[in-house]
Amino acid sequence: MSIPLSASVDARHGTELGVAVLTHQPLNNQEIVASVADDGAGATAVFIGTTRNSFKGKVVTKLEYQAYSKLAIKTITDIIAAAHANVSSAPLTAHTHTPLQASVFSGPRDEDSTTSTSAFRPQRLIRIAVHHRLGTVPVGEPSIVIAVSSPHRKESFVACEMVLEEVKKKAQIWKREYYAGEKEDEAEWKANA
Amino acid sequence: MSTGPEITILYFAGASTATKLTFERLQLPSAEPQPLSSLSTLLVERHPQSGLEAILRTCQWSVDAEMVEDVETVFLKGGEEVAVIPPVSGG
Repeated sequence: MSIPLSASVDARHGTELGVAVLTHQPLNNQEIVASVADDGAGATAVFIGTTRNSFKGKVVTKLEYQAYSKLAIKTITDIIAAAHANVSSAPLTAHTHTPLQASVFSGPRDEDSTTSTSAFRPQRLIRIAVHHRLGTVPVGEPSIVIAVSSPHRKESFVACEMVLEEVKKKAQIWKREYYAGEKEDEAEWKANA
Repeated sequence: MSTGPEITILYFAGASTATKLTFERLQLPSAEPQPLSSLSTLLVERHPQSGLEAILRTCQWSVDAEMVEDVETVFLKGGEEVAVIPPVSGG
């Protein structure tokens, strides 16, 4: 049994559906967006979460993120797969309009389309990239960047929000806020719930 | 006397600041498989006055990097990596 000197380390796991990354390095928005680029993508939705300078009237000086990387990467990879499955199967009826319906027959085919009951299923999402920063993040810098590409805009918007909410709810990542004028060892660990 | 096999405990966030540890080795009290549900008591005994007891009440567990749904059904035989998982706050 090896000794885990730190479980909060850089990690990356990629599949054909996308990539999950945990890194101590500053997040590069442009590179992350480029990583989901595809000639079949008519839309890319991007969420950039940045560290804020205040919390309930207190001045935030910096934030620190920690992860159980081995588990968090699995969780984010599962969330990416769930977003693909969800957006591919759920009819987006609430805001569906004619062009979206048309995409059913014009989009690229899924790998497993032959097992589908219909002739083929549309590929409604192309790729999802989730990058989360670890360690100390100065105020104003991105702590999370999510990029989602899809043939049409609706799916990437929906999936991007879905992935963000699930990551905040489930990924084994923790944030500590440091406030001006308060002792560092009393800085507060946050909870999203 | 502790005579059982060892496990590794990982601490994160509030559990880590309370114990002042990111991990520790823990010897199980006997060679018999120990219920995960008994682990809180063992850890609180090791870290009295640390605030760990209150923190553990808000936490979940993972064993070998899998979240535990029901602590009553999981038994520790030794060699496992058990993590205390406080409420998450990523994003």
